[in-house]
Amino acid sequence: MWFGPNLQRSYKYMMFASKMPSLRIDQSDLKCKNGCDYFGNPQWQGYCSKCHREQMQRQRKAEKESSATLPKPEQKKPERGLRIPSHSSFSKFEEKRLRQSETLKKANLLKFSVFKKSSTDDHDHSAEKRPPEFKIPGIVNEGMKRDFRTRFPQLGPAVDRDSRLFVHSFIMDVIKCANVLSVDELSERVQRQYQRFMKHMDTSSHFANVEADTKELLMDFVEKHAMTYLHELPSVVFSPSGTDDERLDRAMSERIQQLSWVGERHLECKLDRNNPDCRQLLYKAISELLGMDSALSPGDKLSRVRRCCRHVLRLCSAAPASADDLLPALIFTVLKANPPRLVSNINFVTRFCNAQRLMTGEGGYYFTNLCCAVSFIENLTAESLNMDKKEFDCYMAMPASIGGSAWAAALSLCGAVREADEQRAHAQKLLTHTHNIHTRAEQLAANAQSFEEQIAKKVQDVLTKTPLEIKPRRELPRLGNLKEINTAPLIDLGTTTAQEEPQTKPEVTPEPLAATLLPTESTEPNITIQPETEPKLNILGFEVIERQSPSKSPQNLDQTWDLKQTSSLELLTPSPLGFTPFDSRSIDELMTPDEFGTDQLPPGLSNINYDIDLSDFSGDNSIAEEAPKSEPKDPFSPEALRKITTFDPFAPQTSKGFETALDSFDEFSFVDQRKQETDPFEVVHRGQDPFSPVELSKDPFFAPEKQSTSILDDNDTPATACLLPSPIQPQSSNKPT
Amino acid sequence: MATAPSGTHNFKVVLLGEGCVGKTSLLLRYIEDKFNDKHLTTLQATFLNKRLNINGKRVNLSIWDTAGQEKFHALGPIYYRNSNGAILVYDITDEDSFGKVKNWVKELKKMLGSDIVLTIAGNKIDLEHERTVPLEEAESYANMVGAQHFYTSAKLNQGVEELFLDLTRTMIERYEQNAQTDVNRTSQVVVVDDEAPQTQSSCCSGNRSN
Repeated sequence: MWFGPNLQRSYKYMMFASKMPSLRIDQSDLKCKNGCDYFGNPQWQGYCSKCHREQMQRQRKAEKESSATLPKPEQKKPERGLRIPSHSSFSKFEEKRLRQSETLKKANLLKFSVFKKSSTDDHDHSAEKRPPEFKIPGIVNEGMKRDFRTRFPQLGPAVDRDSRLFVHSFIMDVIKCANVLSVDELSERVQRQYQRFMKHMDTSSHFANVEADTKELLMDFVEKHAMTYLHELPSVVFSPSGTDDERLDRAMSERIQQLSWVGERHLECKLDRNNPDCRQLLYKAISELLGMDSALSPGDKLSRVRRCCRHVLRLCSAAPASADDLLPALIFTVLKANPPRLVSNINFVTRFCNAQRLMTGEGGYYFTNLCCAVSFIENLTAESLNMDKKEFDCYMAMPASIGGSAWAAALSLCGAVREADEQRAHAQKLLTHTHNIHTRAEQLAANAQSFEEQIAKKVQDVLTKTPLEIKPRRELPRLGNLKEINTAPLIDLGTTTAQEEPQTKPEVTPEPLAATLLPTESTEPNITIQPETEPKLNILGFEVIERQSPSKSPQNLDQTWDLKQTSSLELLTPSPLGFTPFDSRSIDELMTPDEFGTDQLPPGLSNINYDIDLSDFSGDNSIAEEAPKSEPKDPFSPEALRKITTFDPFAPQTSKGFETALDSFDEFSFVDQRKQETDPFEVVHRGQDPFSPVELSKDPFFAPEKQSTSILDDNDTPATACLLPSPIQPQSSNKPT
Repeated sequence: MATAPSGTHNFKVVLLGEGCVGKTSLLLRYIEDKFNDKHLTTLQATFLNKRLNINGKRVNLSIWDTAGQEKFHALGPIYYRNSNGAILVYDITDEDSFGKVKNWVKELKKMLGSDIVLTIAGNKIDLEHERTVPLEEAESYANMVGAQHFYTSAKLNQGVEELFLDLTRTMIERYEQNAQTDVNRTSQVVVVDDEAPQTQSSCCSGNRSN
């Protein structure tokens, strides 16, 4: 048995065979088979040691070549290639092209893995007796944990642990038994393990709450993880040692290559290779079938087959596809796909898939159909194709690649088309994406626009609802009232101020009001011009501005006071910011205005300046505290007289003295006091209203601004601060007018 | 094998018969309650599941359609192995198809013994006037082999429901008979399990001899 045919079988098979009990040996058989005179040995296949080694080497070489080029037809049938040498080169080219285009990149990878796999198998086989040292890597456990969490989040940790324990013991058991048991026994054992786990699920309290469907899923889960790991181990469960699987794979592959000429008409299935849809479906079916080899667990392989068959079913779409249609189409698909390691895969699933599912599920049904297809291909004869025996033989003798080239071309087209489709789909996606972005951008722009309009509208509404004029009106009456109320003290002040003028000048100037001095100067000329208009305005009396303007009384003293008062009012708001620097400067300024007044300005102006100072000072004193007021008033009056005679020397001294006294007061407190002061002063002005109207015309205010700017260069930024608020008042005054 | 862990009965039923006798139509009629003269639906009718509740027992029927062409006859064993029931369909207007049924019965008896429940269905009784298979002959044959016999018309929806119901009941009975001899039963299960790879390897062995 192991002489003739076995020599052409795999090395692996030979090793296996050598373990068989030897047969009875004749005398002639003891000699070397090669005819050299040495004795042969049954262990060496009847060769002598030398011949055997040569034979072995030759064989191993051949083995390696054939396994390396397993799917390539030109290697498989060398005699055919020899017979038609002119074709061989063409067929090679044709085959290469076909491989590249038809069977996807995946298939190429698979082929590589086939080669690798088989070589490791061989290696493993030679060391078959080596005691296995297996330790399940932690990755398996971790992977299970993770997968369990994602697939069965509702199940408790007890179930998780149980299934993992089962998988562990299952794997260990299989590995332990793999070298002892035959494949069938192993398969039986695995099936019993499945049943054990199922029973465990039925009986264990951990699974009490698990539904039947979930149990089946758990079963799949367990099977998947156990088998995925075992699948990776060489020749344990996948094309296990001691079986013909690998050889059969090769034989099957050859057979399919040989039958590549079988077309749709031979199988009586209605496929149209000119129909792009049909081509596409066939292409998809084929790629699924090829993918079966790369799936690791029986369940995954089954689902691949199922998907493949679904595509095939759609191929024969003429009817509600029945088995009559499915099987021929599936056979055709298998013929065109020539899936790698087909027999190994089928055997693997048959042996180690949970029998329950294989027998009843949809996957099982399609898998059975695949088995049928493979069986049909194996046993295919002229009869089964309804063709003449001669014709059939002729086809079979033909170089493998010729028959299938038309379909191969069609399928290769498919590959390109599919790629193009993918590209197109991708482009389409990008397009829609950009379109989305566009629309969103537009929306955003529109939003911004509408928002802007909305805001504008709102602002408009608010403006129409609450016109700006109202505010100043409201403020003004208040101020007016206050001023009216506090009329009494002003009168006193007025008297005092007249006397105090010279003295107050220096005192006031150091204070922030110095800036106001300058504007007052400007206002004075205006005031003088405009007194005539005043009386009309007086009637309006309510408005502060009018009062302010009248505050600039005909007399310089009064005017200055008014101005100061107004300015002080104005200062109330800006004061906290503007004041401090002003004070610090004020001392220097004190000197400067005096000097300037004397040097540059006309003498009249300089006097005016002093008047302004006085008004401030008097205001401060009067408002700040009554006691200080009274005290200074008395001394002031005489001093003022003196000062009139000698302006400069006294002013600084007195101012300094007062300053020290005044320093104790905060600027803010001054401001507050001034508020009070202003009122009384204004009242006084009202009395003097005829003068005030002159000021009502904005001119005085504008003038001061101009002057202030010019003066600003010299000293007073604060002056501007004081002036800035003032424009509001004139405006308001304008409106009423 | 026939029972899921939860106590639901899982039965596998194969539809056998010559091509064009109406296997697929029967199946479609039963599952979807539709008949399509022109076969325009795109629905696949090769494998279908049907859940039943008979006398409080849940039953899950997996019905497998098979390819009926003559050239695929040899593949029969792959289809019907491990099945609990078989429906043998013939066309009452086609005597050959009835002969085929006889072949199937013989084969099934040989391969599966009494484990499988047989039901013979004479289809297309809407074409009664074209009948070529004598009514008596069919029924007597069915009795002889211990099979139920039904007349059905997928087109008119006659006898289809009854056919499947009766088959399911018989299968449950058969299953429970076997379950009573429970020790035997488990061993039988194992034996059946073993058969799967064996039949597979027999295919391969055919190749080995090549």
